[in-house]
Amino acid sequence: MPKLVLSSALARWLSGDGGAVGASRECRLDVVGTTLAGALDSLFRQHPGLRGYVLDEHGRIRHHVAVFIDGDSIRSKSDLDVSLNEGSEVYIMQALSGG
Amino acid sequence: MSADTLLVSTRKGLFVWVRAGAGWKLDHHAFPGDSVTLTLVDPRDGQWYAAMNLGHFGCKLKRSADRGRSWTECAVPAYGEDDIVPVGDGKETKVATLKLIWSLAAGDASQPGRLWAGTIPGGLFKSDDLGESWQLQRELWKQPERGSWFGGGYDEPGIHSICVDPRDPRCVRVAVSTGGVWRSDDDGESWEQTAHGMRACYMPEGQQDTPNSQDVHQMVQCRSAPERFWVQHHCGVFRSDSNGGDWQEITSIEPSAFGFAVAVHPDDPDTAWFVPGIKDECRLPVDAKLVVARTRDGGNSFDVLREGLPQEHAYDLVYRHGLTVSDDGNQLAFGSTTGGVWTSDDQGDHWQMLPARLPMVHAVCFA
Repeated sequence: MPKLVLSSALARWLSGDGGAVGASRECRLDVVGTTLAGALDSLFRQHPGLRGYVLDEHGRIRHHVAVFIDGDSIRSKSDLDVSLNEGSEVYIMQALSGG
Repeated sequence: MSADTLLVSTRKGLFVWVRAGAGWKLDHHAFPGDSVTLTLVDPRDGQWYAAMNLGHFGCKLKRSADRGRSWTECAVPAYGEDDIVPVGDGKETKVATLKLIWSLAAGDASQPGRLWAGTIPGGLFKSDDLGESWQLQRELWKQPERGSWFGGGYDEPGIHSICVDPRDPRCVRVAVSTGGVWRSDDDGESWEQTAHGMRACYMPEGQQDTPNSQDVHQMVQCRSAPERFWVQHHCGVFRSDSNGGDWQEITSIEPSAFGFAVAVHPDDPDTAWFVPGIKDECRLPVDAKLVVARTRDGGNSFDVLREGLPQEHAYDLVYRHGLTVSDDGNQLAFGSTTGGVWTSDDQGDHWQMLPARLPMVHAVCFA
């Protein structure tokens, strides 16, 4: 079962309390799916409100959100049909830009 | 009724101030660290809305039923894959994505649930369920003239002012930077351009009077005399006595005609306030003295108000949503790019600064 890790900047929005700073830390989740798209669907089933934080309205990874699979950055923000292994780790973080 | 709460939207959160004797005290700080771009207080039910731009994670809209103590997340306006943004100043056409919720307005009491949202890149959205879902107003979106709109300060155009007519809420006017003023009399089913009479000094000769090229910075409508509108434009101040069409330029404003913000007295259409600055690429107070310009006679003359405002070394710019007036027309507040906020209880004759050095102020609003 792939693991999905949300950086603290994203995990703070899981709480539903308006994203209060302080309670946040990196969050690890078990997800199902054999592709990145499937893993994200699994994440959004658990946390529907997170979809708009990770994806834009066209279903692409947001311009300033970075996704790593087993340590390697994904190559496309729009092609999410990327294979995962049973033990893959998907790491989602804010890109170090803007802000 | 005087206002006892002031919402200050900043680059680093929403600051909620409450009355404390003759001054104000900070009640609480919501969303610390996050950019709050503007707020709306819905007069129908008292709920607060906060529009945010989280940068990495996109634009968000939050709603509070307990005066900012807790918030729930609403939906945000969204564009489709086929919605494109042609830009009239030569930039490449792009697929539309939400860049900013730039204006919010509540519908009439007869329209429960109705909200309007103006956005960058130029779409107007309607909600009939208090922001749980939004519909792009396609009749405005597909106007051929939209292809000539362009950004004023942003890469893409945007709708920053929405006026719902108090006589008939199906009549809605919006102002665009840069794309003039648009009016619908049928709840968004059809639209017409009404920025006739404005003058775009930045355009080439022969195109300066084109209504669709006008860079309106902010537009407001008088509540008790709704035929009267005021505009702070990139090139000056304009007034309409005919329902937002047939605009006349007001040239008597001092110390300058450039600025972003305008407020009109809710019950006196001849009284309006502006915060002038040096045009255009400079955008600073004239002589580094922060002042408010007030007219009480429809723009024939202006008082330059400075009592309580910094009169040396002041480099404060006030954005378009950074000035507000209370429902009774007596209280004013404005906030600046350098984090100063000033309030007045006497229509601007005297000002006092909030006891804080805040982050950059995007918007202020009484509640």
